[in-house]
Amino acid sequence: MPVKIISFGPVKDIMGDQQFEVKDVADTDQLIQVLHHQYPALAQTPYIIAVDKDIISGNTLLNGDQVVALLPPYSGG
Amino acid sequence: MKNIFKQGAISAAFIAESIEKHKSKMNIGGHSIFLGQVRADKINDKEVMAIEYSAYEDMALEKMHQIREEIFEKYALTCLHVYHSLGQVKAGEISLFVFASSVHRKAAIDACEEIVERIKSELPVWGKEIFDNQSYQWKENSK
Repeated sequence: MPVKIISFGPVKDIMGDQQFEVKDVADTDQLIQVLHHQYPALAQTPYIIAVDKDIISGNTLLNGDQVVALLPPYSGG
Repeated sequence: MKNIFKQGAISAAFIAESIEKHKSKMNIGGHSIFLGQVRADKINDKEVMAIEYSAYEDMALEKMHQIREEIFEKYALTCLHVYHSLGQVKAGEISLFVFASSVHRKAAIDACEEIVERIKSELPVWGKEIFDNQSYQWKENSK
């Protein structure tokens, strides 16, 4: 099952506006590897990851059909 | 879930109207209001003309709901209203409006301060500082 990737702020500048899906990744570590390969500038940008709107603190299994969000440091207010 | 987001700046008229609406809640003895204003920072000789806000709206609204519940548990508030801008807000205009009310002043003042801090550190919202020459940089919140 593919996972949907969304990004915001400076990370969106790197990855582009479109939402896209990534297939055949077992966990978030693997997904990050794929994304860093595709977008090398990501490695120099700070961000945290939310899976289905929950911020994860370590490698997390992806069983598909989830939304993975890449969140750079917040700057609201 | 309450939507806190408003497109564009938060007007003085909207704020005045919000205050006016509390006339009928006569158990309230104090309001504490925080207004966040877009600052015309000078960065390397370029001046910030506006901030363009974007958000992970679903996640931000869930988070705000959670903050609201925790704040109501911690402080004896009568009511609480939060509004945050999305899209472009020009320098000098208001982009954040927090309005806490209580029977006695201390709860409103303390809650308002804590909510503002939590909004800044916990809501997935991003500000893009747009300079007069149309270039931009992503804002970073100071502590």
